[in-house]
Amino acid sequence: MKMDDSELERAIFALPLEEPPTGLRSSILLATAYRPAPVFSLWDLAALGASGAIAIWLVALLVLGGGSLFVHTLGLIGSFASRFFSNATTLAWLAAGGATAIWLSLFTAPQPAGLLSYRSRRRAGR
Amino acid sequence: MAVKALPEDGELVAMTLRGNPESFATLVERYDRAVYHLAYRTLHDVEEARDATQEAFFKAFRSLRTFKTGAKFSTWIFAIAYHACCDRLNRRKHYVSDEMPDRADSGPGPEQQAIALDEASRLRCAIDALPEKYRTVITLFHLQGKQYEEIATVLGLPMGTVKTHLFRAKEQLRRLLSGMEVTES
Repeated sequence: MKMDDSELERAIFALPLEEPPTGLRSSILLATAYRPAPVFSLWDLAALGASGAIAIWLVALLVLGGGSLFVHTLGLIGSFASRFFSNATTLAWLAAGGATAIWLSLFTAPQPAGLLSYRSRRRAGR
Repeated sequence: MAVKALPEDGELVAMTLRGNPESFATLVERYDRAVYHLAYRTLHDVEEARDATQEAFFKAFRSLRTFKTGAKFSTWIFAIAYHACCDRLNRRKHYVSDEMPDRADSGPGPEQQAIALDEASRLRCAIDALPEKYRTVITLFHLQGKQYEEIATVLGLPMGTVKTHLFRAKEQLRRLLSGMEVTES
């Protein structure tokens, strides 16, 4: 006897789904939704790396050149920073940039839900 | 007393993106069996199907932000799973030889095993005997019903091709099933 189209379709739809192996769901959930949060976020790692590099550099200055090289380098950095921040034009540009950023953040258009949540999650994670 | 409606898939995706991982767990509970079914029917290997299912959900979770609002989650996850299966088949180097034949295998195989089995088992054996492209279309037809557009999206094929494959798959199935009955009697 040959099945007609509707009989065949009914038989196909009546087929039971394959039984997944035990533990499949829990392993999926452990790899996705219930994945343990990493101890350090990307930003934490970047900050730690930068701090470590600066520390190593300062220690190298102390070891290689003694106290005088260390003090000299710190003095150079200090004088550069004071020159940078005592320049009225630089300060004016910094103020203008900051004010513009604040002003723009007040008038930002609604963002897609995905992007918004991603940002808020990142902020919360920090 | 009003019964609280279960959240739609799209809503669950949005809730997951808002930082509620339990919503993704609900999606996993809804679709893990169907995704595993698709993977197993495509790969015919429990371990590989298991890995492909896991990979599909992992990829979906990681790229949940790319899920388009209004799209069907089932279609999306089936497409990811189907691609994961194709990658595995390619790696196995069996994919090309499986894809080539346009007719069902004629040698002794699933048809022979179907003798004296019940109707569901015979149908399953007949589906197994179909060439890869027809088997996948029939599996998706089983999972998604007559949503040809969704099946076409999963497979990345034009809807006309899907309908043709489905028509030929059903034809071959009918032929295989009637052959089994003859062998049985």
